[in-house]
Amino acid sequence: MQTSITKLLGIEYPVIQGGMAWVAEYHLAAAVSKAGGLGLIGAASAPGDWVREQIREVKKHTNKPFGVNIMLMSPYADEVAQILVEEEVPVVTTGAGNPEKYIAMWKEAGIKIIPVVASVALAKRMERCGADAVVAEGCEAGGHIGENTTMCLVPQVADAVTIPVIAAGGIADARGMAAAFMLGAQGMQLGTLFVVAKESMVHENYKKSIIKAKDIDTKVTGRSTGHPVRAIRNQMTREYLKKEQEGVSFEELELLTLGGLRKAVVEGDVKTGSVMSGQIAGLVKEELTCREIIQKLIKETDALIKGAEFYE
Amino acid sequence: MLEKVKEIVADSLGVEVDTITAESSFQKDLGADSLDLMDMVMALEDEYAVEIPTDDLGALVTVGDVVKYIEKIEK
Repeated sequence: MQTSITKLLGIEYPVIQGGMAWVAEYHLAAAVSKAGGLGLIGAASAPGDWVREQIREVKKHTNKPFGVNIMLMSPYADEVAQILVEEEVPVVTTGAGNPEKYIAMWKEAGIKIIPVVASVALAKRMERCGADAVVAEGCEAGGHIGENTTMCLVPQVADAVTIPVIAAGGIADARGMAAAFMLGAQGMQLGTLFVVAKESMVHENYKKSIIKAKDIDTKVTGRSTGHPVRAIRNQMTREYLKKEQEGVSFEELELLTLGGLRKAVVEGDVKTGSVMSGQIAGLVKEELTCREIIQKLIKETDALIKGAEFYE
Repeated sequence: MLEKVKEIVADSLGVEVDTITAESSFQKDLGADSLDLMDMVMALEDEYAVEIPTDDLGALVTVGDVVKYIEKIEK
């Protein structure tokens, strides 16, 4: 399935696995890349040494292209940005801010730069700064989110820039993928679906939570703090939302979520941890290998787009 | 220039022009978040044909700061 994104990145299928904090480590990333998509390592707030190690491990497992997602609010962002150059990482995606200050350095190293954006203005600015593509991520996604939905954001970003657009947020099957093409995207980034992949190292409880989840089971905490986060509802989100309504201080709210994602991913505490997930968790029902996931997506999307008859 | 800048700010932040003064702080008084501010910066760049590097954004706290900044570049 060739698109401007597969050509840009040198991959077989226009499917990217999101660089999720704590979830996107080398086992998952390598499996996705081996299966023909683009695996990403989520640098999140991890120190440079961890990121460097993950990069080297992916390279031991595959020669295919992969990338690193750099979380710009990390105290280690400068260090990680430099490591991408040293370790010759082919692709970088960026989140939680504006990556402008690193772009010249990355371009000189020949790294493909793909910022994740939640607005048209940021997409335009990133194109102007030299980004090779953008990920337009809607608020259906898990983790930190913007305001607009994928349905509304993708076509507006596609209109605003000439570089290729990758759609993210709310995609977990062929219908979502075909829809993303219709909205103007040339590639898709998926998160929730890959969290439950067999090669994903997250705790079984986390995977079970996503598989069990229904359409209404995610909640957004932190809208009042300016840092909204979507996760599967549990004891922690209930307490958080109640306190948020009562007008509790930002610091106290932070205490509830501190280390929450790690608790859920590593320790399997899905009651008081932060079980980040997109709304599309309701559609995710089984644990498959990355190869199975991608093959199913591609075959079914292809069939939909070529054979569809939507009206009589 | 202040009047035009106020118009652009009103448009980008979705607030009424007459609630804005040179002393208005984007985040404290006008409730702007990072997406609003990016929108406003892009609109200012278009209007005045200037480029505002990201490093300079932190210093632009009030509407007055923006006016002074653009007047300086234009010289």
